[in-house]
Amino acid sequence: MTNTTQGAPLAPEISPPQKKDRGFLGRAGVVGVVLVVAIVVALLQSGSGLVVWQSVVTGVLTGGLYGLIAMGLTLIFGVLDIVNFAHGALLAVAMFISFGMISATGMHPYLTLVVAIPALFLIGAAVHRGLLSGTGGKSLENQLLITLGLSLLLENGLLMFFGAEPKTIALPGDFQFPLLGAVVAGSRLYAFLGAILLGALLFWLLRRTRLGTAIRAVAANGPGAELVGINVRRIHTLTFAIGTACAGAAAALAGPLVTVTPTLGEQFNITAFVVVVLGGMGNVVGALVGGLLIGLVEQLTTIYLGGQSSLLGVFVVFILVLFLRPQGLFGRKTA
Amino acid sequence: MAARKLIAALGACALLATGCGGSAPMGAGGAAAGRDEGPVKIGALHPVSGSNAVDGQQMRRGAQMAVDAINAAGGIASLGGRKVELVTGDTQGKADIGQSEAQRLISAGAVGIVGTYQSAVSTNVAVVAERNRVPFVADVTASDQVYAHGYKYAFRVQPGSEVIATAAAQYLRQVSQQAGKPVKKVAFLHEQSDFGSGAAEAFTEAARQLGIEVGPDISYDAASVSDLTAQVTQVKASGADVLAVAGYYRDSLLAAKAIASVKPDLNAVWGVSNGAYDQPKFVADAGDLGALYFSTNYHYDATNPQTVALREQYQRTYGDPMRTGAVLSYDAVQVIAQAVEQAASTDPEKVRDAIAAARVQPLTVGNGPIQFAPNGDNRNALAVLMQIQNGQVKQVYPPEKAESRPEYQVTWRP
Repeated sequence: MTNTTQGAPLAPEISPPQKKDRGFLGRAGVVGVVLVVAIVVALLQSGSGLVVWQSVVTGVLTGGLYGLIAMGLTLIFGVLDIVNFAHGALLAVAMFISFGMISATGMHPYLTLVVAIPALFLIGAAVHRGLLSGTGGKSLENQLLITLGLSLLLENGLLMFFGAEPKTIALPGDFQFPLLGAVVAGSRLYAFLGAILLGALLFWLLRRTRLGTAIRAVAANGPGAELVGINVRRIHTLTFAIGTACAGAAAALAGPLVTVTPTLGEQFNITAFVVVVLGGMGNVVGALVGGLLIGLVEQLTTIYLGGQSSLLGVFVVFILVLFLRPQGLFGRKTA
Repeated sequence: MAARKLIAALGACALLATGCGGSAPMGAGGAAAGRDEGPVKIGALHPVSGSNAVDGQQMRRGAQMAVDAINAAGGIASLGGRKVELVTGDTQGKADIGQSEAQRLISAGAVGIVGTYQSAVSTNVAVVAERNRVPFVADVTASDQVYAHGYKYAFRVQPGSEVIATAAAQYLRQVSQQAGKPVKKVAFLHEQSDFGSGAAEAFTEAARQLGIEVGPDISYDAASVSDLTAQVTQVKASGADVLAVAGYYRDSLLAAKAIASVKPDLNAVWGVSNGAYDQPKFVADAGDLGALYFSTNYHYDATNPQTVALREQYQRTYGDPMRTGAVLSYDAVQVIAQAVEQAASTDPEKVRDAIAAARVQPLTVGNGPIQFAPNGDNRNALAVLMQIQNGQVKQVYPPEKAESRPEYQVTWRP
């Protein structure tokens, strides 16, 4: 936490708006143009409007989920400067909590939100207090190895307790409806709406509450925040817990969409990191928008390359962003 | 600064991930250690952790049951009743770890190795086996590439990718003709590694020769895919009348979900070496989504009383239905053990020669005893067509192996 003033991950939200907005609109315009071109090329490539439209719909809906997962990650990174490799594994833990409750009590999958979110909040707080709070100011490798080790521990713990047998969560009364020819599954739409809602809630929490102000203050200038009486250690723990709770929420929302396995987090971890970089590290809204973009990129890559690894497109975007705009779409240029 | 930090982090992670799996020192120095005394060691290499751990555990148990049966029957008679011991390794589903584990088992004195479930892992293990001159009998390994290298020490019990895919194309033509809706165009959806792509290539080749058009050919990354709706929409737009799917369990289930929501205009969904569509678990997980799905694959022989007894014993011991993979592991261990018996030796080269000349009665479906062609493939391996009917996986084709008649019609089409 030495250089946070320079990195200033959450700082753009505090900086005066008038200067930033023009640049932001310009960037949004560029992204928009690139997207339109990408979609037109996809149209030419596939020759079917329906295929491209379905890809766009699926991309946006899946992207919402990526956004929600990445929001937690970016918050932790922005405030604590921790690259949390255990995020995906924590998501898997939440998924199993959700699955366990459903199979034990037969409750509705979305009702498990009220358990998964607090449970992951507490786990997050415990993980930070127990494992990570001592690493502030020490070398990066410490945190890295701890979170990586934790993810291995969690995955293998789940494997031991639940077995590797893939499990499914069925959404009672799931339905499909056509959207201008494309098919939308109810469960996917709910996950998307839930992600948007929780994203808005998180944004509100950061911008409009005392806690949010304190979190942003700590992110912008830790020692300064300490000087004005903010308990930085407590804010760090809370932030880590909130970030982990995002994974809990994402898990409960995504349950009906995926096959539940102990290694499930791996699927999302890499994508979430790319989303974080694309959205601007530490920027919560950026993570959500970045999630939508990555969802789209993934689906359009499928059209361009006939389905060869969609991660290829994602990594091309990752590298381009690192070259052209390492601070991300929404981040402010750093000195 | 922040971006640089993240890159450093990702780089360190990548280094760490590969560092862990670094291969053990090679060299056959200690290879013969301990073969001449104590129990005869047979190596079993399966992915007992990681995303394929369920199958890996099943297969390790299948191998252990074969060893237990041999010991209960008095061990290896030609070696004065020496017992057999299963030495095990975990590949974690990773090729490099499979390689170092194979080396470890050989150094520990294994006279032969069975494994490994994933073709990419088997490819590496076959190289290690060849270099050390120790036989490797694959139980589950779909890709044909390993058996095109002219290796002397690699054998395989299951029918290969080409055998299954060719059978899939032939069965499809025959079943669709019998139903009065001869197939014209097949879309192929498959995972993109050796296994799925190999199945798609072999199927396409066989189908073309039968006058069936194949396209579009759509692949995906099984490890990272989280939705296949767009891919199935591509199938729908292509006007294909059958969709063939070659994937592992999780992604094939995703495909079934996508098919159920997109409802493409098909006559049939056709699994080719599919890891889900002939599993009892899929029937439970997918429910109505998977009804009347077809699957061409290797299968345990439901008509063999020995197989039935073995599967009952497995069910009693582990509380889980025994999968075909585990029965194949059982067969593979039998192959090695009977070869040791024949050779009356634990010298891996003599065991290898005995395997090459072996005739072993399998518990999996076959055209006869397990008998190896010069490339190491089981000559009598046979693929059967199965279908999910009334919530059960039934063998439906060819007629001599059928428990029920094929119903060539998908559920969503009245």
